[in-house]
Amino acid sequence: MSRALTPWLLPLVLLLAWQAAGKLGWLSTRVLPTPLEVGRAGVKLTASGELPRHLGVSFARAAAGFVIGTTLGLALGVLTGTSRRAERLLDTSVQMLRTIPHLALIPLVILWFGVGEAAKVFLVAVGVLFPVYLNTYHGFRTVDSGLIEMGRVYALGRWQLFRRVLWPGALPSVLVGVRYALGVMWLTLIVAETIAATSGVGYLAMNAREFLRTDVVVLSILLYALLGKLADGVARLLERRLLPWHPAFVQPIAAAANPDDSVGSEL
Amino acid sequence: MSFAAGGVSVEAVGVRRAFGPHVVLDRLNLRVAAGEFVAIVGRSGSGKSTLLRLLAGLDQPTAGEVRIDGRPLAGLSPRTRVLFQDGRLLPWLRVGENVALGLDDRRRENAARLLERVGLATRAADYPGVLSGGQRQRVALARALAAEPGFLLFDEPLGSLDALTRVEMQRLVEELWRERPFTGVLITHDVAEAVTLADRVLLLEGGGIRAEWPVPFPRPRATGSPDFARLVEGVLGRVLGRPAQMT
Ligand SMILES: Nc1ncnc2c1ncn2[C@@H]1O[C@H](COP(=O)(O)OP(=O)(O)OP(=O)(O)O)[C@@H](O)[C@H]1O
Ligand SMILES: [Mg+2]
Repeated sequence: MSRALTPWLLPLVLLLAWQAAGKLGWLSTRVLPTPLEVGRAGVKLTASGELPRHLGVSFARAAAGFVIGTTLGLALGVLTGTSRRAERLLDTSVQMLRTIPHLALIPLVILWFGVGEAAKVFLVAVGVLFPVYLNTYHGFRTVDSGLIEMGRVYALGRWQLFRRVLWPGALPSVLVGVRYALGVMWLTLIVAETIAATSGVGYLAMNAREFLRTDVVVLSILLYALLGKLADGVARLLERRLLPWHPAFVQPIAAAANPDDSVGSEL
Repeated sequence: MSFAAGGVSVEAVGVRRAFGPHVVLDRLNLRVAAGEFVAIVGRSGSGKSTLLRLLAGLDQPTAGEVRIDGRPLAGLSPRTRVLFQDGRLLPWLRVGENVALGLDDRRRENAARLLERVGLATRAADYPGVLSGGQRQRVALARALAAEPGFLLFDEPLGSLDALTRVEMQRLVEELWRERPFTGVLITHDVAEAVTLADRVLLLEGGGIRAEWPVPFPRPRATGSPDFARLVEGVLGRVLGRPAQMT
């Protein structure tokens, strides 16, 4: 029990110190409102229905972009990962496109789609596509060739070979990509909503800034952190569910069972 | 347990396999009768694994041909299975599913029976990752036999096991081979293992089969007899290049 609580000790102390500093006047509330003030802003905005609305909008954008980007990335990755011909045809092009930071597309995307929903969904989809593609492709290409050879000797047809050997072999890498993509998803959304939006959590923050409502700004930041953590939790649940055979999950060892510090989880 | 289908005959005729300029096998001839168990020994790098891959249809000879039941082999043969050194179980499938891998409907029930036969019926629901090395090889053996192969190739399947487990596995392989007719080719560094399991021991050297010893001992074999030790000594001497009498 105390072991489970230990990680929360430091955040709690910091929170208390923060509250105390604000209360004692060491920290101007203009710079940083106290946690209680932020909490109060949260309650008020929730009661007025404003917060749920913005959250809902942000969530819908994130989900739509994520589903589109992941689907495309997966499809492309499976294609180039399993077929040498598709690899020759597509991989170089995808790798070239990948070098463009997707956030650099914002001006162009606004020109194309205006500031509507399509722009945000498009940006998230593009941002999500590449990590999913890369890790899927890499996953398929690094499946143990000994297992593939075994599959051929044991009379597996093309579909069986895919289902029994290639796909499960690539899955851990695919999930790393998905997890990374979830980070990219929120980051993209934050930037897009802050620059050009009339709703969403990012808009809430930018709007509050105009009215010098530091408490709402901080609230928005915390909300993003919470959403990011939530997405990460979903990803980890997915890993546990889909990779029950994996050494990291078969026998949870305290150190190995916490994949929190894997690549790109905190973007 | 008996099977309608017996072992197949295997033949290599004038087989050559070169990797670029590097000739590994040349004008190699080999004949294994249906149901016979043959061991191939040879020094490291002599081309044992290369030959195994050719016999399994995983690789094609540069010249010459491999024949299964008299028919030239092109690609994989549906009745051939390989027991790999590292087992090659699929880590994401449970033991039972691994054994049933690639089985048609008619043979599906073999999986449970063979798992039982190798003494691992209670582990069917475990993932291979939690098994010991020896248990994993037993699962791999069950998987290989579940398909009722006519031809089973062993690529140093016991190489990574400890001495005790090896002896156990050798007994198991011998028993299973006696229960059902399949043609066996065992590749090994271990001359004693070759003499324990095989009807005939072949020496691969300089790209071809250079010597041959029939193993006359009745089965199941007692590995402690002086005759056994003498034969092992003789084969070993020849493998290492010391002059020794050939039979
Ligand atoms: N794919 C390949 N490309 C090039 N050379 C190869 C290839 N496969 C095998 N060889 C060469 O063929 C020779 C025989 O290799 P092989 O693996 O058949 O030996 P081996 O008898 O099985 O040795 P060991 O007992 O150490 O396993 C070696 O010199 C090796 O370098
Ligand atoms: Mg070898």
